[in-house]
Amino acid sequence: MIGPARGPDDGHGLRIVLIGLGAVGVGVARHLLGQPGTQVESILVLARDARAITRTEGMSAAVSLRPIRGARIPEGTDVVVIARPDDATALASDALRAGAHVVAALDDPHHVRHLLALDRTARASALSVAVGATMAPGLSCVLARYGACFLDEVHQIHVASYGTGGPACARRHHAALSSIATDWYDGAWRRRRGGTGRELMWFPQPVGAADCYRGRLVDPVLLAPAFPGVRRVSARMAATRRDRLSAPLPMLRRPHPEGLVGAARVELRGTRDGAHETLIFGSVGRPALVAGTVAGVAAVWAANGRLARAGAAGLAEMVDEPGAFLREVAQRGITLSAFEGAIG
Amino acid sequence: MQTLRRVLVALGAAGLAALFLRLRGSGGTPPRHGGWRQIPLTELEDGDGEEPAEPGVGSGAEPVGPE
Repeated sequence: MIGPARGPDDGHGLRIVLIGLGAVGVGVARHLLGQPGTQVESILVLARDARAITRTEGMSAAVSLRPIRGARIPEGTDVVVIARPDDATALASDALRAGAHVVAALDDPHHVRHLLALDRTARASALSVAVGATMAPGLSCVLARYGACFLDEVHQIHVASYGTGGPACARRHHAALSSIATDWYDGAWRRRRGGTGRELMWFPQPVGAADCYRGRLVDPVLLAPAFPGVRRVSARMAATRRDRLSAPLPMLRRPHPEGLVGAARVELRGTRDGAHETLIFGSVGRPALVAGTVAGVAAVWAANGRLARAGAAGLAEMVDEPGAFLREVAQRGITLSAFEGAIG
Repeated sequence: MQTLRRVLVALGAAGLAALFLRLRGSGGTPPRHGGWRQIPLTELEDGDGEEPAEPGVGSGAEPVGPE
């Protein structure tokens, strides 16, 4: 456990700064305000557009909004949740200077890598920067950590995701398919072309089967260091033939305000009692809602000093009680599943 | 003119072949038996009789992975 643990135990509720009020940001706010047993004193939303205030209608009076331009993280903030990719590293650095933990609901490898580079600064301040708190990565990382509890050794981890959250997520996934994918393969990073490596993956219903391909996904970067000795870590994303054909082009139409159903799936291969074992866990739900819930739970854990260590890392490293974390996620209506049976 | 036409035909044929190669796939193998089971809340315990694996110790000060 790390410090500083603040919040309700210290007599005041959680003071949270939420950066970005897109589909994921709204999910985070709703989660924090609807979390039983969590006293939220204030949520300061920093958003680019003042019209975003309309998205907070019906929420508690604890929510206030300020334009993000020129804004600073106020002293006394417990956690900063970043749900907007622009200037994420600068904002996270500002948060650490203000003595706040950071939870980044971002999945772009570029931003994730820069946030991971804050590890030394965060450790020096005994603060944590939880990176990639979305559906995949994020929930997938905690599911991987949970699955590892049932194995003596983890040899391979393969993540697959289906669907997108808000428009920014949809644009990033569109570009990911035509970019270089990075996998952890036998102790080294291996670069492969996005849109290749077709594999039919089975997600929990109602998604079912979907063809998945390599892409510029960040899961291996967050998972490989969390499981020392793991031989292979890969990530794939579901795509249709039209997605693959149009991947090198700009998006042909505006993305939806929020994606519909999404899913994530984590396959772990390893050994238990000397025998080979394969475990598969999955989740299904609206990706923005799931991401908001995961980031919200991570924010409360960070504020209460429940994350495993100071520094910057993904949730597979930050969460050492994955069962408890997943229970809180499931209590918010997110379906978690395990595959039982034989594959192939 | 004939050369240009030949070049265009060759490029078109190459494009069609590339499109075919890009879109084709061998498919996958569906699960033979089994299915997804929702994990009940009571099952989501840490260390429920199983020996948990050693948690990762982290990446140290350096960021992980190539740009």
